[in-house]
Amino acid sequence: MNRPAAVLNTTYAAIELRRVSRDLVSLFFIAGLPAVLYLIFGSSAEDSAVRVGDGNVAFYVMVSMAAYGAVTATTGVGGMAAVERMQGWGRQLGLTPMSDAGFVVVKTFVSFAIAVVPIALIYLLGGLTGAEADPSSWLISGLVVLAGAAVFSLYGLAVGLMFRSEGAVSAASGSLVILAFLGNVFFPLSGLMLDIARFTPLYGYVALARYPITGGELVSATGPTSETDPLWLPVLNLVVWAIIFAGLAVWLVRRGRGRQ
Amino acid sequence: MNSTTGPDRAPAIELHGLVKRFRTPHGPPVRAVDGIDLSIGRGEIVAFLGPNGAGKTTTLDMVLGLTAPSEGSVRVHGLPPREAVRTGRVSAVLQTGGLLRDLTVRETVRLIASTFPTGAPVDEVLERTGLTGLAGRRVSKCSGGEQQRLRFALALLPDPDLLILDEPTAGMDVTARRDFWATMHEEAGRGRTVVFATHYLEEADRFARRIVMVAGGRLVADGPTDQIRSRVSGRTVRARLSPGGDRLVGELRDHPACLRVEVDGDRVEVQTTDSDAVARMLLLGHAASDLEITSGSLDHAFTALTQEVSR
Repeated sequence: MNRPAAVLNTTYAAIELRRVSRDLVSLFFIAGLPAVLYLIFGSSAEDSAVRVGDGNVAFYVMVSMAAYGAVTATTGVGGMAAVERMQGWGRQLGLTPMSDAGFVVVKTFVSFAIAVVPIALIYLLGGLTGAEADPSSWLISGLVVLAGAAVFSLYGLAVGLMFRSEGAVSAASGSLVILAFLGNVFFPLSGLMLDIARFTPLYGYVALARYPITGGELVSATGPTSETDPLWLPVLNLVVWAIIFAGLAVWLVRRGRGRQ
Repeated sequence: MNSTTGPDRAPAIELHGLVKRFRTPHGPPVRAVDGIDLSIGRGEIVAFLGPNGAGKTTTLDMVLGLTAPSEGSVRVHGLPPREAVRTGRVSAVLQTGGLLRDLTVRETVRLIASTFPTGAPVDEVLERTGLTGLAGRRVSKCSGGEQQRLRFALALLPDPDLLILDEPTAGMDVTARRDFWATMHEEAGRGRTVVFATHYLEEADRFARRIVMVAGGRLVADGPTDQIRSRVSGRTVRARLSPGGDRLVGELRDHPACLRVEVDGDRVEVQTTDSDAVARMLLLGHAASDLEITSGSLDHAFTALTQEVSR
């Protein structure tokens, strides 16, 4: 029998979105905190109007904070999807016609829909408070932030599958702060720290999102440097981490099935 | 319901040589289900009994397509389990069926209803399971009994021909259990096939017409409830011996139908598979009076049958 292709179950997605909208604490960390960080380090910084590549510092910080908010959202959704399924909701769904693919479609939609919230909010704030770049840079960086955030739903998924608790998922979201510092997101790194940063998960993602204005040029705390990342470097970083997270998630799912 | 319109007359459940092995971290794999053959007809109400670790939940999981058998086959209304679930022929209340705690009762029902192709009757199901008044409450604020009613409501959504209940009243208080079974009686009255696993023998005794007993992953008994009850323990005959009735005790002890004969003063208690014959012997010639015959409890049968296997 031909199975219908997994289409989005809109009722399920709508209920999921309502669920997230009631969770004000999570929403604060997803949208509120990065928005405030943008206002502090982006728009109200003295050097906010200083040029960075084809944009300015405010734009550069805006992209960074939107990316941080977006990955906080997708990590949380991915992690909770794993924990829910293992806490018996998976068995409940196993008694319905919904396929695994259908579930993935709903959760993917929900994680993108939630990731859009910090991106839209912070880009809006950016537009109002002096972030400057070409229109195409606004569009491309926004799309890269959104698409790249999907990789971190795999990170959340893997952590959820591994530790099987809501606490672990919160910890995974929290760990993004550290990964953001290590990944050159919050504060421009240099020297050895920058060399290390290039291997960490958020580095490639954020570097790609900034690429439309920086063209790969690196920024230090005191202004532009002469160092430039070729495009392949952030792409490779993101792809490798995507493969690591996906591989880990697949391995953990298989291990879980064997124990059933 | 589907079964009245469908041309197929396959049994509700058909298991052939069902085996499920689990890998263990150390040592050989465990055979949780060790070769079960079973056929359950449409409209039957069957209790699935067995001690913890007997393989009940694993067997039911295979019937529901939640776990794949290591060997053997499962057919539900003639279909592979997943297909039967997809078409709404079978549904279940699972012992460990998780709910999302931050959803309301109504959201939970609407969510599960949305996974079925035809519009499942959300309001009607809430009404039938007595949840209408709780519809706006968060699942986390519902009592154990209320959550179980919610799981039951979810199971009714596809209007299934076969309903499987795994320990449906575990953790409920007496009133909640009584209410639950009253609702179940109504649902069975609609012609559904009901298979339930339980620890409460009294529930099996009162509600099921057939009992399937498993222990150590195997079937140890299968038959009408009355028959299972009498199968091992038979019946107990008690009487007061008349003076001079002592010689009868020896006769009873030699009788092949007498399993156990105990004398305490002038009282005699005989466990037998042929209570009529024993009663006749006792009453003949006024050897005894105050005769009383009781059938064995299901508890007895359960203990005897399941211990036989684990020995």
